[in-house]
Amino acid sequence: MADDDDVMMKKIAQELRKPVAVSSSFDARVMRAVRQLPRHARFRLWSRLTTPRSVTVTPLSWGLLAASLALFALLGAMHASSDINRIAKPFANALFPKGAGGSPDQRVQFVLVAPDAKKVSVVGDFNGWDASHALYQAKHRGGGVWSVTAQVPVGHHRYSFVVDDSVWVSDPTAPRVVDNDFGVANSTIVVQEQK
Amino acid sequence: MEGSSDAVIVSRVLRGDVDAFGVLVGRYRDRYARYAFHMLGNREDAEEALQDAFTRAYRSLARCEDPERFGAWLFRILINRCRTLGARRGRRARTFVVDEVAILEAAEEHPADRTAWREEIDRALERLRADQREAFVLKYVEELGYDEMSQLTGVGVSALKMRVMRACERLRELLSEVHSG
Amino acid sequence: MALMLAAPAVFAQDARLAARLDKPTLVAVNAIVDSARVAKLPTAPLVDRALEGAAKGSDGPKIVTAVQQLSVRMGSAKRALGPAATSDEIKAAAAALDAGISANDLARLRAASGKRQVTMPLSVLTDLVGRAVPIPTATTLVVQLARSGLKDPDFALFQRNVRADIDRGADPTVAATTRARGLVLRTGTGSKPSE
Repeated sequence: MADDDDVMMKKIAQELRKPVAVSSSFDARVMRAVRQLPRHARFRLWSRLTTPRSVTVTPLSWGLLAASLALFALLGAMHASSDINRIAKPFANALFPKGAGGSPDQRVQFVLVAPDAKKVSVVGDFNGWDASHALYQAKHRGGGVWSVTAQVPVGHHRYSFVVDDSVWVSDPTAPRVVDNDFGVANSTIVVQEQK
Repeated sequence: MEGSSDAVIVSRVLRGDVDAFGVLVGRYRDRYARYAFHMLGNREDAEEALQDAFTRAYRSLARCEDPERFGAWLFRILINRCRTLGARRGRRARTFVVDEVAILEAAEEHPADRTAWREEIDRALERLRADQREAFVLKYVEELGYDEMSQLTGVGVSALKMRVMRACERLRELLSEVHSG
Repeated sequence: MALMLAAPAVFAQDARLAARLDKPTLVAVNAIVDSARVAKLPTAPLVDRALEGAAKGSDGPKIVTAVQQLSVRMGSAKRALGPAATSDEIKAAAAALDAGISANDLARLRAASGKRQVTMPLSVLTDLVGRAVPIPTATTLVVQLARSGLKDPDFALFQRNVRADIDRGADPTVAATTRARGLVLRTGTGSKPSE
């Protein structure tokens, strides 16, 4: 009995020793977090320079002093460059206007295959369900394929296609939501911020 | 730098070379991710615990007394992170519904195949008490000696032996249930 | 429907509502919106719902009922998800309740998801139920996926795969269960994702 149990534990252990996949971005995430922390800096040369004591000046020690100052200046410049992101961000925000939620609207493509349609528009809670909204009119691309790429705020939205201003068609490719109140099914989309 | 010892890399990091820390991350990531996964039961929590452990290790790197044994020092930090995160998860894991097991098994075409076996082990491991699971994984998966386990966990050797024994008993119980059907 | 507003709280009301609804409907809808605001529920979804009803050609009483029902569902959703729930989560949860998912199940999903937002998992769950996966099965699968740490893009992929399988004639329960199983195994055994 004991032998069987040992065998079982060994099999379990063998199985559990198999490697577990780590996401490919893991290392980058850790290093990003680590770089936000105060950098370690054991500058022995620096502390020697700041401690007042009598120094015998020789050509060699002058060279050492010049080299350490140059190194320090270089390291200081490298550290300062990480501040650039903090300065540049406000400008980036001005170029990409934010939606109400504070994140920029995302470009989303809507596609419907409707070979017999004369007109296709996208309506949803991001445009007041307005079938005549100029920015949400799909163009016919050929072969019955209609598409439009529009700005949609980050978040959860309900939407639908309206064909020929009269027929409501839910997006066959999107998650569906049944509408018990109005009797017409809608589609939903959860728009995520692109990082 | 890739082939350098932990102590060499630690001293570079302490002198300001942040990138060098990346070598240590690469060195220990897979092994410790496996530990965290077994303790916490899912990849996302495991990665969170591991990332946390790495950043804490970086922050207090100057206090690592024996840089040559950086790995063990990091492991101790990770074991604590897993305990903290595990305790938090324990509160929500109680909503686990028994039906889930039935649903997932129903779709399995070959109950005897390896991936089903693995899933059974994972489920059984999850049902162990946290301290027993910790001791079991350190002993059987990490293959550590009891003295080393004691240093890492702060728990006495005889208590650890008891936990490992209880864990084995419980695993046998849980896993033979599945196969007796 | 007669509504008495004892001390009308006059907040800036949405101009689009005034343009699209008749007077009695507008008054009723505004009252519901005001109550929701007091209850700290998101009001935009209520306005959107009224606009949706108008766009779909519904009559006034139906619109008012729909807006009222949405308000009630959002209240339940917020109670089930907790005070930290975002507007998007509440919207998605309200749609889930409408599909027949219980408040208890919302709470289970919240618990299983830890710090992750439940917007996407809820949207996927609502879709599965809308495609005839029985509610207990669909809920259990989505909760299990959430517990296993599945992220939003993988939830979206899961939904697309299940939908494609059903479109090709698969039984919805079998399709959903099989695809879910593949994802749970993947996070456990270290194999790389197939896409």
